[in-house]
Amino acid sequence: MSNPYVPMPVTIEKIVIENKVRDIKTFDLRFNDKKDADRFKFNCGQFAEISILGVGESPIGIASSPMDEDFVQFTVKKYPTGTVTSVLHNLCTGDVIGVRGPYGNGFPMKEFEGKNLLIIGGGFALTTLRSLTKYILHKKNRQCFKDITLLYGARGPGELIYRSELDEWDKRDDINIILTVDDRCGLDWKGCVGMVPNVLKEQAPGSKDCIALVCGPFIMVKYTIPPLLDLGFIPEKIFTSLEMRMKCGIGKCGRCNIGSKYVCKDGPVFTYKELQGMPNEY
Amino acid sequence: MIEKIKETVKKLFKENKIDIFIGYNEGTLPLRSTPCFITKPEDIEKLVWNSYCSNNLAVYLPRFFVPQQGAKDAKLPRIGILAKGCDGRSIVGLIKEHQIPRENIYIIGIHCGGMIDTKKIKKVDIVAAEEKNDKVLVEDEDKRKVELKKEELLADMCKTCQYTAPVVYDILLGKEKQKTSKEDREAFIKEFEKKPLEERWKYFQEQISKCIRCNACRQACPNCYCKECFADQTKPKWIGPTNDISDVMFYQIGRIFHQAGRCVDCGACVRACPMDVDLRVFTYKLIKDVKEFFEYEAGVSLEENPPLATFKQDDKQEFITEP
Amino acid sequence: MENKIFKLIKKKEILKLLESLTKEYNIFVPIEDNGDARFSEFKSGQDIYWDYRNTKISPKEILFPQAETLFCFGPEAEVKSEEPASGGKGYLIFGIRPCDAKAISLLDKVFGGEDFEDPYYLERRKKTTVISLACNKPQIDCFCTSLNGKPDNEEGADVILFDLGEDILAGAVTKKGEKFIEKQNKWFEDAGQSDVAKKDKIMDLSLKKIKSQIDIQNIKERLDNDFTASFWDEIHQKCLGCGICTYFCPTCHCFDITDEINPKAADSKTPKGKRVRCWDSCMYPLFTLHASGHNPRPTYKERMRQRIMHKFNYCPENYSEIFCVGCGRCVRNCPVNIDLREMLISIESTK
Repeated sequence: MSNPYVPMPVTIEKIVIENKVRDIKTFDLRFNDKKDADRFKFNCGQFAEISILGVGESPIGIASSPMDEDFVQFTVKKYPTGTVTSVLHNLCTGDVIGVRGPYGNGFPMKEFEGKNLLIIGGGFALTTLRSLTKYILHKKNRQCFKDITLLYGARGPGELIYRSELDEWDKRDDINIILTVDDRCGLDWKGCVGMVPNVLKEQAPGSKDCIALVCGPFIMVKYTIPPLLDLGFIPEKIFTSLEMRMKCGIGKCGRCNIGSKYVCKDGPVFTYKELQGMPNEY
Repeated sequence: MIEKIKETVKKLFKENKIDIFIGYNEGTLPLRSTPCFITKPEDIEKLVWNSYCSNNLAVYLPRFFVPQQGAKDAKLPRIGILAKGCDGRSIVGLIKEHQIPRENIYIIGIHCGGMIDTKKIKKVDIVAAEEKNDKVLVEDEDKRKVELKKEELLADMCKTCQYTAPVVYDILLGKEKQKTSKEDREAFIKEFEKKPLEERWKYFQEQISKCIRCNACRQACPNCYCKECFADQTKPKWIGPTNDISDVMFYQIGRIFHQAGRCVDCGACVRACPMDVDLRVFTYKLIKDVKEFFEYEAGVSLEENPPLATFKQDDKQEFITEP
Repeated sequence: MENKIFKLIKKKEILKLLESLTKEYNIFVPIEDNGDARFSEFKSGQDIYWDYRNTKISPKEILFPQAETLFCFGPEAEVKSEEPASGGKGYLIFGIRPCDAKAISLLDKVFGGEDFEDPYYLERRKKTTVISLACNKPQIDCFCTSLNGKPDNEEGADVILFDLGEDILAGAVTKKGEKFIEKQNKWFEDAGQSDVAKKDKIMDLSLKKIKSQIDIQNIKERLDNDFTASFWDEIHQKCLGCGICTYFCPTCHCFDITDEINPKAADSKTPKGKRVRCWDSCMYPLFTLHASGHNPRPTYKERMRQRIMHKFNYCPENYSEIFCVGCGRCVRNCPVNIDLREMLISIESTK
């Protein structure tokens, strides 16, 4: 039988520093073995375990879109206490690491087809939402979805990630981009100023035929959900992605559960309705 | 004796001197008592005091004083605790290491006659036991009744106890018990020291190879209050969590040496260890050495500075300057 | 067990039978160790501890060891998968108690599963024959009957044995068990009516010995609504977080994965070493600690609640089985006498 604990070797093709403090980097990875590349078919919202032999593993959401064929992208924030993320940030292009996956349930794209989408991101949690947005905006897929609004906020302009992509998307007429920061931080910022939940209340599109997706630091998600409910979004139509400490990623080691659901297997994507039925332990 | 304890605790609650009292309740198995936390006066009736009250209750104290996030000005609880000699020595250690504030602890000291080591009764399933003065009547599953001498069942560290009551207390109950000589307490270590190096190393390896890294010794020890134990650290990663002999050896040696100058020989680690690892022959050796080299005994004085945590101007420095 | 054909074999003959099987199987039998019992590899000339009550550590360590290497990696970052070191032989777990045999069938559900299979556990499990030994003398802290178990429960076993004194009565439970007995037929005689009657009498007495009875038929439903109940505030207070209950429990399966490097490797960028998995416990404070510093289970209360909910609510939800077999190890070995039976009774009785 196949061994789900053995990582597939990948080579780092490109590293992009995403933010001013330089602790968020996007890594483009190419599978060393084409068979692995063919097997690694994923949906938006899924994650993979980034494996560094001799150090450990880290579950990271997949940032590239399933339509990107040559590489898989992960955006990783370095934590001072994180052994894997610290070592990963010191690696260079050409270095070989491992990937296990794809794991998790991902966003139910079929359910989103024919609907308007309100995509809300906060801080560096935009990664899987970027996967989703890139997928939707791809010429093969765009017509399957109706109006797209992306509301993305960070603490300051230096903390916004994927700047070049956001600028490109802003130029398009088939997606509405709203960027906001909590504080200008003395920089030349032309976008909105205000926390995401407040900007949402002011600028949100209607909830009719609309699905809301919220990913961000837990405190942001907690304060974004009430305005969404006020706008008329029902709990079954609000999607979010959770994080938990993980080890195996396949629902065996018993670590990442919230109630009877394993975040690695039954999640990480959950609707707000599902969250309401789960114990408040995250 | 138990009535005196209950009376004292009732008075403490009535005079609003404590918020919680830590004592013992009847256990669910024969020859066992279990720690209990009393916040309501009506639960005082359930308190017990017997030769099964072996748990070191001091281990619960630090968790009441962990700084709570977002509650900087939260009022610290006032804890009453029933302390035998060994528990009292642990409490002294915790106060000296600033883990618990003396003014928030009310120590009901009690003279202890020694605790039974249930591991001394094996192979027989005891369904009931009753303590009667210096005897223990046990009934096995075939309804056979046997009278055992309590002193034969006492834990090794209790047999040669030097401090049957805490040295620091707010009130002391009970009658002073006869103490054994210090030589008796050290006898087992002196015997072991006589053995050749290879034999001692072999014994050490044999004993720790039983370890399954459950961490019970560490969790039961009142001195092991570190938020992140060296054994769990990932940066740097000192050891792995497996039961490979190299991991186990580093863990045991590391943990025991971290007790040097602090261990009070309460036996909580020995009692907690489910695999019967003979920890005491190693922990006591450190206690003996500290006594010999620094003339210091942990847990008997609130004023004395612990030698391994104190720096004096005239400390030798050659080991740094001329390694 | 109606219409079961029973075979008879003398205890002395069993030792010879096991001797003859050592080339085919890695055989694990209960042996005496300093007054306690544990499972150990069968050695010729060694006797089996027939009267043992139950082993200290559950025999789950045979199929799910405390530490095992998942794979090794070399300086070129090549990965070499570790096959479980079976030496090409099967595994024979001989003399396991029915509660522990049932626990194996529960672990099968965790490590098997339709989505991902755990090759390390399953490769061993495929080659394992489980021969259980019914209990003649349950202990005072055994409570298997409260969890649909009994001294002669057959779940998880391929063959079940009964100790009649000098003789052992054997009954096949599964096809694998039938084949096993058939293959070893020359060692067995047919059992007579009197042997079976003797077995029935011993089992009746044995069942009566189990005094601990708790009514937890509805525990899962009860716990569905009890996540924020107030009894969790008190139930955890004595807990030291030592992990003995989880390590000794035959159904606990939480594990950690960690990398070990050979420090003598030349190039530190792509080191030589191995990835290991080892037992972990939800009772440990660092079990769910995030790198950001956030811990969804920061105190003993949340961790105790997780343990009870996992065994009596989440696993019934996911696998339709309570993950407790009533073996009593957690009760017997808890250093502060936290009694799971008492906790369950107090949960059941809280309005």
